[in-house]
Amino acid sequence: MSDLHWLTASAAAVAIAKREMSPVDLTKALLDRIERLNPRLNAFILVDAEKALKEARAAEAEMAQGRLRGPLHGVPVAIKDIIDVSGLPTTCHSKIFEIAVAAIADAECVARLRAAGAIILGKLSTHEFAIGGPSFDLPWPPARNPWNVDHHPGGSSSGSGSGVAAGLFPMALGTDTGGSVRNPASACAIVGTKPTYGLVSRRGVFPLAFTLDHVGPMTRTVEDNALMLGVLAGHDPLDPASVPSPSGSDYTKSLEVGVRDLRIGFVRRFHETDVPADPEVVAALDRVALTLRSEGADVVDVTLPALEDFAAVNRVILQSEAWSIHSEWLKNRPGDYGRLARRRLMSGAFMDAGDYVLASRVRSQMIADVEAVLRQVDILLCASSMDPPCRIDDSEAIERTYMRQARTPFNVTGHPALAMPAGLSRDGLPLSVQFVGRYFDEATLFRVARSWERAAGTDALHPPLAG
Amino acid sequence: MDGKTIEAIARRAGLQKTLEAFPDDVAAAAASAEKATERVRTSSGTPPASLEPSIEPWPPMVVRR
Repeated sequence: MSDLHWLTASAAAVAIAKREMSPVDLTKALLDRIERLNPRLNAFILVDAEKALKEARAAEAEMAQGRLRGPLHGVPVAIKDIIDVSGLPTTCHSKIFEIAVAAIADAECVARLRAAGAIILGKLSTHEFAIGGPSFDLPWPPARNPWNVDHHPGGSSSGSGSGVAAGLFPMALGTDTGGSVRNPASACAIVGTKPTYGLVSRRGVFPLAFTLDHVGPMTRTVEDNALMLGVLAGHDPLDPASVPSPSGSDYTKSLEVGVRDLRIGFVRRFHETDVPADPEVVAALDRVALTLRSEGADVVDVTLPALEDFAAVNRVILQSEAWSIHSEWLKNRPGDYGRLARRRLMSGAFMDAGDYVLASRVRSQMIADVEAVLRQVDILLCASSMDPPCRIDDSEAIERTYMRQARTPFNVTGHPALAMPAGLSRDGLPLSVQFVGRYFDEATLFRVARSWERAAGTDALHPPLAG
Repeated sequence: MDGKTIEAIARRAGLQKTLEAFPDDVAAAAASAEKATERVRTSSGTPPASLEPSIEPWPPMVVRR
């Protein structure tokens, strides 16, 4: 089988289950590609090749005995390095944890992947503590965008986005507190989902902000994303935010049903009024709306509170909660943070309890506002990033585009949101779209995403990377 | 927020060491905080949450077994 690196997780799982492909061959092919391309992409902080091959051989031996552990048996995955993997250090891409002891247990999300048969390849680059990046003043270099290595791959799950897009692995775990799964998905032309708050356990994930943190799947196709979320979703009594999903966990069932009976609300104000987007992004979003309409959906305009209000609420809550986590290190080891993380994490020191509670109360109103709109429509369609990815060495552009996005509203409200490719810019850089669903209705979210993917062929987009 | 206020808040928060080593970062953090909190205070929903005590914070208290 050629081009093993572009195999989807779903196709690999089927081929392995039918014994048409060896998990050892797949893992070796990906490790070879990682060895060749990672020095240019910096997607990994740590490649655990020896253990991955050992796990692949074990998966093969189990298959020989007719044992299939689960729907990801023998399929490699890589993990953002703020998530614990047993036996490996969790560095959070920071000097604070540069000499970290190995985690003694898997995070719940990693344990679920392992129980489904996945093989862990290693730990991935992130913005420092999932907030400070891209940064050149950290112990490891920042990940690069495989569409153009001079460009930012988005973040904070930057290694996850870069590596999935470059074919280093078919799926990765990311985390999302203000958009950190959906930003790299948007910048690297892959699919990234922030599930409903509480659907996927956060236990074993280094927190950024307790009430905004989500763990989510990052893949090249919608089908893989649905498959991976099905493995990840489920109640964890040891995560205080975890809730049982009322909708079950097979998100692949209705992928091909289409959008004929759906009403989709197009939130134009985010990218037309609040934060005017790049014209190529505007055109791409109009194309998505038009395509879904031609596929049979009823696409109507809807409005939500201003993007800047969502962003401010997100920032006050995020930075207040993050300050409570980082204050001791910021007081005593400020030089061990990179500049961006130090600035962003310290902001919470300048907010008071009243600010935090007021933001939390406004959050209640915002939830009610979004819920009211989602009673009129099944799905929201809106921008993710307002610009194609900028150069990674242009700190002014990085700072400017950091807030030019429409992802934070759904961290504030907890609704499930998925970002995916909407085409390429004239310069060959990814453009993106975001779909947002009702609480626990990820199945409809995937259904709409799959309709757009099928119509536009976005799953065939691969970066023109040598090798 | 003026320089003296920033310094006073930073010292009260225990950031003396940071203030000495990275004064620009402390100032940038304060400016960012001020911008976000101002926005929340001045546009706190309809009706304004600051004037409507029935609006409770999220997440609500949940009684668990």
